[in-house]
Amino acid sequence: MTNAQIEIQLIAALVAVACALPGTFLVLRKMAMISDAISHAILPGIVLGFFITQDLNSPLLILLAALTGVITVVLVEFIQKTGLVKKDTAIGLVFPALFSIGVILISKNANDVHLDIDAVLLGELAFAPFDRLFISGTDMGPKSLWVIGTILLISVVLLFLFFKELKLSTFDKGLATTLGFSPVILHYGLMTVSSVTIVGAFDAVGAVLVVALIIAPAATAYLLTDDLKRMLLLSCLFGIIAAIAGYWMANILDASIAGSMTTVLGMLFLFVYLFSPKQGVLHGFFRERRQRVEVSLLIFLLHLQNHTEEEERHVNHLREHINWQKVRAKTVLELAAKNNLIHTSNQIISLTDKGQEFTDEALKYITTNKATAIEDLKERFFLFRG
Amino acid sequence: MNNNLPAIQIDDLTVAYDYKPVLWDIDLVIPEGVLMAIVGPNGAGKSTLIKSILGIIKPIAGTVQVFGKPYKKQVDKVAYVPQKGSVDWDFPTTALDVVMMGTYGNLGWIKRPGQKEKKVSLEALEKVGMLEFKSRQISQLSGGQQQRIFLARALVQNAEIYLMDEPFQGVDATTEKAIINILKELRQAGKTLIVVHHDLQTVPEYFDWVTFLNVKGIASGPVMEIFNDDNLTKTYGINYKVAVNQ
Repeated sequence: MTNAQIEIQLIAALVAVACALPGTFLVLRKMAMISDAISHAILPGIVLGFFITQDLNSPLLILLAALTGVITVVLVEFIQKTGLVKKDTAIGLVFPALFSIGVILISKNANDVHLDIDAVLLGELAFAPFDRLFISGTDMGPKSLWVIGTILLISVVLLFLFFKELKLSTFDKGLATTLGFSPVILHYGLMTVSSVTIVGAFDAVGAVLVVALIIAPAATAYLLTDDLKRMLLLSCLFGIIAAIAGYWMANILDASIAGSMTTVLGMLFLFVYLFSPKQGVLHGFFRERRQRVEVSLLIFLLHLQNHTEEEERHVNHLREHINWQKVRAKTVLELAAKNNLIHTSNQIISLTDKGQEFTDEALKYITTNKATAIEDLKERFFLFRG
Repeated sequence: MNNNLPAIQIDDLTVAYDYKPVLWDIDLVIPEGVLMAIVGPNGAGKSTLIKSILGIIKPIAGTVQVFGKPYKKQVDKVAYVPQKGSVDWDFPTTALDVVMMGTYGNLGWIKRPGQKEKKVSLEALEKVGMLEFKSRQISQLSGGQQQRIFLARALVQNAEIYLMDEPFQGVDATTEKAIINILKELRQAGKTLIVVHHDLQTVPEYFDWVTFLNVKGIASGPVMEIFNDDNLTKTYGINYKVAVNQ
């Protein structure tokens, strides 16, 4: 690997982690789309800042642009509070207006501004190593590495100091207020950090893809854990994976780095969404199917227990007496037989002793409103599950 | 705790959402050590009253005093149990962690909870019968269990006044009994409890003080004296007949 390659991956990874941290809280606060609004609305701030400073990495430009981001949030909330439009509509009204001011500013001053619309939308990581920071003649590395590194450091320190407060105000705003932790301060603190981070990442990944870096790692981590700290760590991990895998994918395909990073994030999410052991779609599908079979089995056993008369227990009658539409009778019969809950003679089905015992206990739980205990009961009785 | 000061004194409180008054000129004195129900029809402003005592909602007129001082100065003396539906139970955290949030007020900014906070939180979980669920993710708890977690969280605040917004909503009979027993215990320890309550049948059995509310304050006092058909009719607008158990 060349130095430039290492630098690009390092910048990409730092950008991803810097986005993942506020992103986790935005996702939990159901404010993911606010990041979309901020990332677009900062454009006029960036252009104006560029007119003043003539340097895309100047701290003044970053603060000016971040201020535009916070103003966006204020405007969205102001419009929403009038009660005339919903929040998503307010977001959709505010950010295109601000973004288009930025677009007009760029196109009117195209000769003076080294910004083009492509770079604004998609960013360009590949050029990051060329713009270097020199201190008294010594090469200190790419400027954007310092910029995003500083932003990340500030986020980490703030997160470390105010983790408890952020968690509380995200989970229960009312309690945060009554305990004397102002949710308003925390809210705007988080919005400021998000805005500064988005401005810092803008250069590298652009206005559209920065949203993916904020939302996707957190959304993926959310599917995998029940613990906020672990969710933060996993978000960062997914960000880093996307940064490095995305870089090499872009390298092989000779394509946009930011685009590849986002594609990797999308694939990571899809993979977890399908295969997550606890909440994945496939697991849910199998669990639901199993439950359906087992509920039918229980209905079937209760039916057998209720009816001593033979015609009610005849194999051919089952279809009429119980609603088998959703589950095939054969599946249920086989499951019951495999677990030694029933035996069949002359096409008449009866409960075995074990089946009788199981049904009695299940019935007891159902009538005393403790249906959840049936799961434990199944664990004890069943050799095979549905 | 204070000699003659009422736990809560509300004077001329008016709250409005967008010019529509929700509470109108409320005067209310809640003495220390009562177990009080706030009753009234839907939209009467019961939750709003609690939220304005806590400063979550800003009134457009009037004052609230907690033991003679503004709420802001008495934050550590008041615990709040919000409606269960006010939070997102899919939040990635455990029952114990939610209870520990009750200790954050005493910790103040930046300081982290430690062993001491964990210990009192575990004790509170045991008290509400939820110790075995301490590591359970909160979305995996039943509605009644979630309500108990909220109660435990209020208990660790070790406050003088407890404000509860419909703690019996959607809980089964066992949990309701468990919660009311804890409330009665707290009252015996001299605490003041203010509960938004819906089930008029249980008012005389559970509470010793009651406030009738319907945008305006209708009546407030001991259950034995004022929980009668007259006040119920004034509050709910239809003829109410209840048998008040003596």
